[in-house]
Amino acid sequence: MDRYQFEDLISDYIENNLSMSQRKQVEAYLSEHPAAKQQIESVKQIMAAMKSTPEISTSPDFMNNLFKRINVEKEAKTVVKTTRSFAGYTPLMASLSVIVVIAVVMLGLEFMPESTNQATFTPTMTEQQINDLPVLPAHTNDNNLAEAEEDSTDYDEASPAKPNLDDRIQLVGDKRP
Amino acid sequence: MMNHSSPASSSIHSLNMTDDFRYTDEELIARFQDGDEQAYVELVNRYRDRLITFVYRFVNDMEKAEDIVQDTMMKLYTHRHFYRNIAKFSTWIYTIAGNLAKTELRRKKRHKVTNLSHMSRDEREYQLPSVEPETGDTVQGHFAEKQIQKAIQELPLHFRTVVILRDIQELSYEEISKIVDVPLGTVKSRINRARLQLQQALKEFR
Repeated sequence: MDRYQFEDLISDYIENNLSMSQRKQVEAYLSEHPAAKQQIESVKQIMAAMKSTPEISTSPDFMNNLFKRINVEKEAKTVVKTTRSFAGYTPLMASLSVIVVIAVVMLGLEFMPESTNQATFTPTMTEQQINDLPVLPAHTNDNNLAEAEEDSTDYDEASPAKPNLDDRIQLVGDKRP
Repeated sequence: MMNHSSPASSSIHSLNMTDDFRYTDEELIARFQDGDEQAYVELVNRYRDRLITFVYRFVNDMEKAEDIVQDTMMKLYTHRHFYRNIAKFSTWIYTIAGNLAKTELRRKKRHKVTNLSHMSRDEREYQLPSVEPETGDTVQGHFAEKQIQKAIQELPLHFRTVVILRDIQELSYEEISKIVDVPLGTVKSRINRARLQLQQALKEFR
């Protein structure tokens, strides 16, 4: 073991974190080097001195100052919440935006040329071409059409009359003979 | 709701905690996440002195340390829902405080460089020392507290953090590893190196 290897193991030796074989190596090195023993003692004293440094306290105003800051934070949050209530916009900005949009639409309608409001149809065929178009044959059997138009909602007067169920039903408390 | 006009009265007792029963930190943060602000007060009371000791040893300025602990507690308040019950609460709060302290030191370093570049030589000699807490001069053994504090400030930041957490705050290696987000072996090695550097620095005071 050389000096650098020994120095790497000083803290582990002091804190008893070495394996048995490593510990024996360190102790062998210490028995041969009195200065190394002094170094171990010196590091132990520094560790003890660090441990015994007094704990420092916060100032008496610490809590008051902290609570003041927290209250400021809370108030700031409240202000943000109340002002940003329209999808991230302030109420003033939201109203102005709505007014501007309405004004633009109104002006647009006002100044739009009238011809663009009407749908126009320009025939692409001449009158002669229209007259030459083939004519579809007329319906020859209108009865079929009438049959097809019949449906279940049609009421036939000739259908058998509904049976009168009054004679067959005797209700509780019914005074009829 | 929290009574900020009399914070002292709204502390531990309102949670009906006796010596026989204490909520764990994790139970308290869970209650706070559910809206119980008294649980927040209890967490602040538990951690404010521990954190200011850690931060003061780190930044060596009492006013800055108090500001950083205040910021840490504000982050605990505003970011309460960021805590997940997969790590210890102490790990989480120390990580926040440590990050804020490092940011402050970087800012201070930049500020110092800027200031020095704009100062005359005479002005540089009359810089005000940082505010230090009223603590005893002697610490166990041969070293005065001020000497230890001075030696700690000479350590590189990555050594400083871990040795304070281990030897002053007495946290486990595992917890330190999680706080600084560095493998366990690296943490052990850094702590060992930091102790050796302190030993070298304090040799002259013995």
